[in-house]
Amino acid sequence: MRKTIAVTVLMLTASWFAIAQGEEQSSNQSKVIALENAWNQAEERKDAKALDTILDNSLVYTDYDGTMMTKADFLANVKAPSRHPEQQVTESMNAHVYGDSAVVTGVYRVKGTENGKPYLRRGRFTDTWISRGGVWVCVASQYTLITK
Amino acid sequence: MKKLFSVLLLLLIVPRTHAQGAVPTQADESRILTLELAWNQAVQGKDAKALEILIAPEMVYVEYDGTLMNRSEYLASVAARSVHAEQILCEPMTVRVYGPIAVVNGVYRETGAKSGKPYSHRERFTDTWVRREGRWLCVASQSTLIAR
Repeated sequence: MRKTIAVTVLMLTASWFAIAQGEEQSSNQSKVIALENAWNQAEERKDAKALDTILDNSLVYTDYDGTMMTKADFLANVKAPSRHPEQQVTESMNAHVYGDSAVVTGVYRVKGTENGKPYLRRGRFTDTWISRGGVWVCVASQYTLITK
Repeated sequence: MKKLFSVLLLLLIVPRTHAQGAVPTQADESRILTLELAWNQAVQGKDAKALEILIAPEMVYVEYDGTLMNRSEYLASVAARSVHAEQILCEPMTVRVYGPIAVVNGVYRETGAKSGKPYSHRERFTDTWVRREGRWLCVASQSTLIAR
C-alpha cells in the first residue's frame, strides 16, 4: 500500500513538473515573440533607447548585404538621419525555447527610404536570445534576402 | 565512411563538456570550432551521415538565397548529385558561449559547381549550437552573401 502511495505521489509530482515546464516554455515563447514585435516597432520609430534594452551588449548583427555590426553600430544605423523606415512587418515567426535561451526564425518585410532612395526588402531572419536573470536579450541576429 | 569515422573520432578526442549551467570554458569554444571544421569537411565529402551527428533534429537552415530547410532537406541538399562543393575555406571564426548555448560568427568562401555551372561565394554565417547531454548540436544556421 505504501509503495502504491509513493508511486502515485511520484507520478503526480512528475506530471506537475512536466506541466509546469510546458507552461514555462510556452510563456518564454510568448515573451521572445513579443520582444521581436517590440523590436520592429522600435526600429520603425528609430527608438534606439528601446532597442538598447532588447539587445545584449555582445550582439552580433549581420545585415542583408553581409555587413556585420556590433550593438553600437546597429543602434547608430537605426538612428541615422539618412534612414527613414516606414514599415517593418513580420510575416511569420517560429520560436524554439531551450531553457534560458531561444532561437526565433521568421520572415519580415521592410519598407522605407535611405539617402532619399526608396527600398523594399523581404528576407528571412534567425535571432538567438538568452535570458539574463529573467530578462530576455538578443545576442545574435542575421537577415538574408529571399531571392528565389 | 572515412569522414564519418573522423567526425566520430573528433567527438571522442575533444573533451566532453560540463553539465548545463557550468561556466563556459575555452574547451567549449575549441570543441565548437572543431565541429565547425568537421561540418565543412563533411559538406565537401557529401557525407550526410557525418553531418547527422552535428545537427539537431529540429535544426533550421537558411541558405544564402533565403531558402529555408529543415534537417532532412539540408542533408538531402548536401548529398545531391547536382552540387559539388570543391572547397570550403573558413576565415577566422568567433565563438560566444552562454552556458548551454553558443553562437558562432564567421565568413567562408565556397567554390564548386552546381548543375554543371561553376560558382564561388563568400558568405557570412551565424550558427547557433545547443549543448544536449554533454554534446554540442547545431540548431540554427544562416548564411548571407557578402555583397560589399
